Amino acid sequence: MSLLRNDLFSTAEQRLAWTSERQAVLARNIANLSTPGFQASDTRPFNQVLRGMTGTQPMRTNDNHLKGTIDPGLSIRANKETGARTADKNGVRMEDQLMRVADTETLHSTVTAIYKKYVGMFGIVLGRAG
Amino acid sequence: MGADLTSSLRVSAAGMDAQTSRIRVIAENLANQNTTGSAPGAEAYRRRTVSFQNRLDKAAGLETVSVRRVGRDRSEQPLRYDPSNPAADKSGYVKLPNVNSFIELMDMRDAEQSYSANLNVAATTRTMLNRTLDLLK
Repeated sequence: MSLLRNDLFSTAEQRLAWTSERQAVLARNIANLSTPGFQASDTRPFNQVLRGMTGTQPMRTNDNHLKGTIDPGLSIRANKETGARTADKNGVRMEDQLMRVADTETLHSTVTAIYKKYVGMFGIVLGRAG
Repeated sequence: MGADLTSSLRVSAAGMDAQTSRIRVIAENLANQNTTGSAPGAEAYRRRTVSFQNRLDKAAGLETVSVRRVGRDRSEQPLRYDPSNPAADKSGYVKLPNVNSFIELMDMRDAEQSYSANLNVAATTRTMLNRTLDLLK
């Protein structure tokens, strides 16, 4: 199997973009820890994104349409019933969000490490070690 | 895909900013917990409250957080019998501020916790950014 025929580069790129997106969503959740009525959201699982299962997406058909801040196909808002636990109807649980941040960081680190190793393999093929 | 890591940093910064204003209002309340009025029968210091909102930052194209309003606590002010006080009314009662230091302290703890959560996210985001840059090396 050839190194170049593998689509590792594009998969890694997609995954890195996904982690960036998720980090932005989680940062927004944590920034709104004390905002009344705010509901936490998260991105769709990566395997769904990879299979193109992002559901129906709104399209911009007019310049006056707002662009939106986060890809609508990626972001999902949590269920109101399960989320709100405080008197001000805020549905963000800090511990849960911080766990997700840690998880995202681990994933990001894994992907960059694999990417580096892969690039290193080109070096080996070309006769340069590492 | 819309958001990059720099925008996460910006959102976290906005979160820290909002919590800082909250701490400032708490400090104001605690500093004024004994401030009575100056004229006879005048109102004492009213506790200030702060509330947040999820806001669209149009320049950056991001949803961040900001202070919606700094309001006044409309609850009734307690009275104390102190005829010698310049703010005492005709029957000798002085209105005291409606600040409860326990509530303020709990609020401060909460603000501090939220601040460090935002700080943690910003630190993690920075690590991720650096690691991405390391791919170039």
